[in-house]
Amino acid sequence: MPDSKVLLQDASGKRMLLLGNEAIARGILEAGIGVVTTYPGTPASEIGDSISEIASEAGLYMEYSVNEMVAVEVAAGAANCGVRALTAMKHVGLNVAADLVMTLAYVGVRGGYMIVTADDPECYSSQNEQDNRFYALLANLPCLEPSDPQEAKDMTIAAFEISEKLELPVFLRTTTRVSHTRGPVAYGKLTKAKLRGDFIRDVKRLVMVPAFSRPKHEVLLRQAAKAKELSETSPFNRVVRKGKEIGIISSSSAFNYSVEATDMMGLDAGILKLGMTHPLPEKMIGQFLKAYSKIVVVEELEPYLEMQIKAIAKDYAPNVEVYGKTNRQFFPKEGELSTRLVATGLSNVTGKKLPIDFQKMSEKYAEVTKNLPARPPILCAGCPHRASFYVIRKVGGDKALYPTDIGCYALGIAPPLNIGDILINMGASVGAAQGISKVTGRDTIAIIGDSTFFHAGIPGLVNAVYNNSKVVVAVLDNLATAMTGHQPHPGTGMTGMQSTTERILIEKIAEGCGVKYVRVVDPFKTKEAAAVLKEALQQPGPSVVVFRAPCTLMDAREKRRRGVKIVPAVITDKCTNCLVCIKLLGCPAILVEEGKVRIDENSCSACGLCISVCPYGAIEGSCAE
Amino acid sequence: MKEFNIVLAGVGGQGTLLAAEALGIAAVKDELNVRVSEIHGMAQRGGAVVSTVRIGENVFASTVTEGQADILLGFEPLETLRNLKYASEKTLVIMNTEKIPPSELAAKNMSYPDTEDIVKKIHAIAKNVVLVEAMQFAKKAGNSLARNIVLLGALAGTKRLPVKTESLREAVRELVPAKHVDVNLKAFQLGLESIEKHLTEI
Repeated sequence: MPDSKVLLQDASGKRMLLLGNEAIARGILEAGIGVVTTYPGTPASEIGDSISEIASEAGLYMEYSVNEMVAVEVAAGAANCGVRALTAMKHVGLNVAADLVMTLAYVGVRGGYMIVTADDPECYSSQNEQDNRFYALLANLPCLEPSDPQEAKDMTIAAFEISEKLELPVFLRTTTRVSHTRGPVAYGKLTKAKLRGDFIRDVKRLVMVPAFSRPKHEVLLRQAAKAKELSETSPFNRVVRKGKEIGIISSSSAFNYSVEATDMMGLDAGILKLGMTHPLPEKMIGQFLKAYSKIVVVEELEPYLEMQIKAIAKDYAPNVEVYGKTNRQFFPKEGELSTRLVATGLSNVTGKKLPIDFQKMSEKYAEVTKNLPARPPILCAGCPHRASFYVIRKVGGDKALYPTDIGCYALGIAPPLNIGDILINMGASVGAAQGISKVTGRDTIAIIGDSTFFHAGIPGLVNAVYNNSKVVVAVLDNLATAMTGHQPHPGTGMTGMQSTTERILIEKIAEGCGVKYVRVVDPFKTKEAAAVLKEALQQPGPSVVVFRAPCTLMDAREKRRRGVKIVPAVITDKCTNCLVCIKLLGCPAILVEEGKVRIDENSCSACGLCISVCPYGAIEGSCAE
Repeated sequence: MKEFNIVLAGVGGQGTLLAAEALGIAAVKDELNVRVSEIHGMAQRGGAVVSTVRIGENVFASTVTEGQADILLGFEPLETLRNLKYASEKTLVIMNTEKIPPSELAAKNMSYPDTEDIVKKIHAIAKNVVLVEAMQFAKKAGNSLARNIVLLGALAGTKRLPVKTESLREAVRELVPAKHVDVNLKAFQLGLESIEKHLTEI
């Protein structure tokens, strides 16, 4: 997008090309939301990022919270003072916030409150592909599922009406293909954000001790029944196509594929599009089932709709055949769907032949692309993590173990760095390292990024001090939440409102937690850093080494802004083509052409790391250590 | 027009996202229905990336079905090859000749395949292949970073797009920083003219 400021245009009726996430941001402005909180995470990040750029101008409050749980706490606090609030997060963020959300459903809200959960089928940028619609079912909260950017905006606005009518938080569940699809969006009217609220004391409503929780559970169930009525008449649940052959029920991107697959196959299918997927419109679905002998449920990931539709069928249309992914699998439960996969499933259900021979196409493609080298994401040229990993491997070698964490530094698992032995979720490196170290007795170095340390690393560190675990926590501090787009965090001294604030230093936190050995090193000063890390491994208890250097992308941007010229390193005649630089670092700026090592001047960021590892002193540059 | 599908394939950092967005903005300017798919996050770090642009009244999904690309715009030869699954005989392939070796090649001390071999492989699936030396034109325009806009110009040069060339130029004006507009419009023009020469062949 040219500039997030275009989201502020008071131009009702104007059509703009917006990313799904930007459309949600526009919805925030049209719904007059006062408080927006988030922790960055792909594919949700651009919601918070666009709002951060325009928050002061729009007159609303925005923050990058320290993690998703705190983000929901802050927003729910505001919503309980009658202000409209919204929290955006990626799917796994909801696991972090789940403890709170489950009981917030009992407490409810006074001002409207919406949680965006952006799921990631196909794990484009995630550690799993869980289906968060089940959280709506588990918490008894309404859930809306858009299928394109226009609907993402419309549903954002509608969610607040539903939320305020029921006094409940509402989920908006997107997927990567909704959040990261651009499409035309028609602007509506802007509403001035209401930022001021008032807290009304009401212990029975707001204090969830057992005596008050029990009746509030009943209240929640009553509200859920009302939500079901809203679902029956919701404009987001509707039959979009009438047809005789089969009936299709679908939601989200799966709906898009269903329409196109139906067209491709020339099927005379009826299509029921579900946009409010919790609670389901039981009567509407029941009536739809009655009109067909075959029903196909098309959805991504888990058979969330299918299981409930089968239960509805038992009451409304016991003889209807429901096809999906339970019992016989017509569609995969893993990965994202596509028009091809949906068409293939429909072909298997109906016995109608596919008009395109996909099989033959794939065979030919496989033949043409045989032995094609892979191109996985890698650490950028000049990335300080490469320097840190070089140092860590040099000191720890193959003997030490390296639990790692969520962030760019997960890319350290690629050869030749090979750093990263176990990775599960945010902050887990610090805790897992302690269990591993206790039972193996091996040197264990937990790898964690700066933003991840603030998000979920601190309790693990306190645990290490408390239980005297012999681990080294290596905090790779590149001064930003880099992977998701360089958002600020508590260690940067900047806020989501783009103003300065107290900078919280990781080393001070570590000292405050009681860690005896805490050091800060520059990863590009490899010798010094290695000496410190060696010393850290000698400690009887936990130690913390902060490897601090800015993300190279941020650094390059800053240098461009200041007009500082980057002078790339060069290979001199002394080079013997021993390839040590490549074998140790795997930097994308170091190439081999016709058997000769060359530094690509377009991608070299002049970090100087290769200069310090070359055994022949054959690389030169102003950037030497 | 039923639908028009463009696949833009390259390496993270080459500017495929901006080129795809320009096509989307141009479509909205021309009052057409459009969907653009993007990949953000981890994949952007020097990995293989692909964006798709679909224009047409009955377009719902943002992703292109195998074999259904009208144009495959390859920002890099190996990535062009990797995305041939979207191509068929009728697909026009426009390929930037600039090679970005994947790290696997250096690690295994292998060399990057010859352009002719790559073109030969593409011909096994798509008949029409046009090569563009985007770097050369970008430098001529005044900034090597404008390679993506050269390729966008090349797309316009095919005269097959359902969007107006002027709308694309306007989109470029909106998307690039004000001080770089002239360089980028020049890059666009050079890309456009480079393809016009091939028009009789394709």
